[in-house]
Amino acid sequence: MKEIRIRFSKTGRAKFISHLDLMRTMTRAVRRAAIPVWYTEGFNRHPYLKFASPLSLGFEGLDESMDVRLIKDMPAADIVDRLNRVLPDGLRVHRAGEPVMKLSDIAFARYRMNFKDNNNNLSKFVTEQNIIAKKRTKKGLVRDIELSPFLNKADLIKNRNDNELCLILPCGSETINPALVVTAYEEYIEQCQGQHIKVLCDIARLALLNGDGHLFV
Amino acid sequence: MAYNLDELFKMVQKPARYTGGELNSVVKNKENVGVRFAFCFPDLYEVGMSHLGMKILYSLLNKQPDVFCERVFMPDTDMEELMRQNGVRLFGLESRDAIDTFDFIGFTLQYELSYTAVLNMLDLAGLPIRAEDRDSTHPLVIAGGPCVCNPEPIADFFDIFVLGEGEEVILELIRLYNSHREKGYDKTAFLYQAAHIEGVYVPSLYHVEYNNDGTIANIKPRGEAPATIPKRIIGDLDTVYYPESFVVPFIDVVHDRAMSEIFRGCIRGCRFCQAGFIYRPVREKSPEVINAQSRSLCESTGYEEFSLSSLSTSDYTQLESLLPMLLEWAQEQNTNISLPSLRIDGFSEELAAKLNVLRRSGLTFAPEAGSQRLRDSINKNLTDNDILETANKAFTAGWTAVKLYFMIGLPTETFDDVAEIISLSQKIVDCYYKNPNRQKGKGVNVSVSVSSFVPKPFTPFQWEPQDTMEMLEQKQKYLRSLLTTKKISLHWHDASTSFLEGILARGDRRLCDVVEQAFRRGCKRDSWSEHFNLQAWLDAMDDLGLDPSFYANRRRSFDEILPWDHLDYGITKKFLIKENECAHNNVTTPNCRQACSGCGAARWKKGVCLS
Repeated sequence: MKEIRIRFSKTGRAKFISHLDLMRTMTRAVRRAAIPVWYTEGFNRHPYLKFASPLSLGFEGLDESMDVRLIKDMPAADIVDRLNRVLPDGLRVHRAGEPVMKLSDIAFARYRMNFKDNNNNLSKFVTEQNIIAKKRTKKGLVRDIELSPFLNKADLIKNRNDNELCLILPCGSETINPALVVTAYEEYIEQCQGQHIKVLCDIARLALLNGDGHLFV
Repeated sequence: MAYNLDELFKMVQKPARYTGGELNSVVKNKENVGVRFAFCFPDLYEVGMSHLGMKILYSLLNKQPDVFCERVFMPDTDMEELMRQNGVRLFGLESRDAIDTFDFIGFTLQYELSYTAVLNMLDLAGLPIRAEDRDSTHPLVIAGGPCVCNPEPIADFFDIFVLGEGEEVILELIRLYNSHREKGYDKTAFLYQAAHIEGVYVPSLYHVEYNNDGTIANIKPRGEAPATIPKRIIGDLDTVYYPESFVVPFIDVVHDRAMSEIFRGCIRGCRFCQAGFIYRPVREKSPEVINAQSRSLCESTGYEEFSLSSLSTSDYTQLESLLPMLLEWAQEQNTNISLPSLRIDGFSEELAAKLNVLRRSGLTFAPEAGSQRLRDSINKNLTDNDILETANKAFTAGWTAVKLYFMIGLPTETFDDVAEIISLSQKIVDCYYKNPNRQKGKGVNVSVSVSSFVPKPFTPFQWEPQDTMEMLEQKQKYLRSLLTTKKISLHWHDASTSFLEGILARGDRRLCDVVEQAFRRGCKRDSWSEHFNLQAWLDAMDDLGLDPSFYANRRRSFDEILPWDHLDYGITKKFLIKENECAHNNVTTPNCRQACSGCGAARWKKGVCLS
């Protein structure tokens, strides 16, 4: 049995596929593509798929990762072709190959955040020192998370209409969802301007990284 | 500031209900198509996407090069609110274009409680809800499905109803529409001509007059419109169009699997069951065709499960030759076969084991009535012994749960009949504990689901009064009082929804105003229990001077003109009267394979009627 790591993007309409639904979609795609994958044994047999890290509903992912086990050899290029022939719009496989790192090596992710917002608070926001996000834990408690260290290192790219932010956040055993950055930014604007504005932001996960900041492969 | 669609999707629950883009969905270049068709299901995506009829017609229409058919569902409350706030009109999932510029808007009407959802969808599309307020610039609003066998309570909202099976007539309608468009389309002229297509009912071409007591005096066609409208029926199921692929939803829908139709119609003739009469006669598909279609569906969708679809799987005459064919490839591909409404007693143990019959479909019986007397009266030929023997076999095989479906409020029902629902359930519990080979250390669970009977058109019970809500509730209370064990769990349906169904199912055209009023009073999602508001309906009827019990709880005489008398489903009134009398005398009628009982369906010269 051979472990194969499949790297794919999830963009456009596909960004509205939830993680659970993505697993079902990929399961069916693997079946349609007739890729000789290993099925779990037991009562409810299904192809064994292992996803690197769940992506929030509404985010795009440009370099997502899914592992399968082959019971018969199949060239990587074949796997890529076969899957792309049967995947719905917005899901695209880019490459496949033997895994180098362990899934547990993933520690960070790089995101692109596209703010639909014309006021120039963003450039100030990323330089602030005390930006705190409230994170709800599984037990229902609220925990303060210091965002400033990550924001201070972010790249700010100004487009014609949008302000774009490129930043690295923890993504692994400890995770900070970039949606927390959006909420913190809304609160920041409220503090500065005295009124609450709903901030729209397109978020894409560009890459998964290991603890040393190297690309997950 | 108004948000665009993509932004709205980020604000709602389950956006994949609205995004489209699923595998096998068809997106065409708008410039290259002549006819745009919005196929609407007046309920949530999860419900509509489970419906086989929609899948068939969606594929069939999109197979036509000049037609672009899109799917439209009822948005959930959060999405609807955002759409209304942001001026977003109801759109097709494929193109995301608002449907008010389409040529056809077609609804499938599966249950009466979806009527206000239809009005809400038309309203969300920005269209006038009444047919008379829509002119040649608007889309034609049409409907099909079982409810159109009495579409009178919604006749004012639709331009056309399509009676019976749609595969042929829908294409004929579109052809006629195209020919009219070539010479300058005029809605009125088109409707007059469409009325001559077999199976097409144009309600505006019929005038209904009433007697002083509220019953119908006459139903008169206008101009050249035919006096009666026959349903359409497909002769050969082996050659009728069937999709090679289904749209595969991203989100979990009610029936998320491939489906193969194995036959249409039903031989049984249970007297309460509308489907058992309006789809007559039984026509089977051959095992070879089913096998090929099932396989291609599974391969094009990647579904891990497929089911055989019909009104009663066990009545398929070639099941024993079909199943091994299916198993041969399904096992290899790790695909499960599910067999709904199956009687497992007729199976060899080897085949049953291979199919995993028990695990898959559970053990379910639908005795419908508790006593043998009442089962004879409704012509449901299932005996206590049939049930107990099968249950016993299943218990031996390790099964510990049984599900039973019953109805209360059936004609001729007494409180003794009601009590027998519990005694039959108790017999199954006893049977479990008497079985020495039962699974050790485990209790049994008999789940009893009790719904309330609604008399339907084109059944022998179409003249019968429905039990009042009070009576139904009394019978439910009585059932609960008889329960002495926790081994039996009892579920019942709300009597108030059955009451509204009873009003609408046999209603006349005067109810159109009531449906509109109910909608204006906020009823949009009657089929969702949390939104159901009977009082709003009763208030609307009160305002309009109509009596709910006139429709639901009144016994009609055999010679009364019924609101659907001008619609012809092949079943004769003479036969239905005879069946009604048999019911009152507890006399059963043989099924269509045992003997022909002369229901009238033989006139279509199809299926079982030919043998």
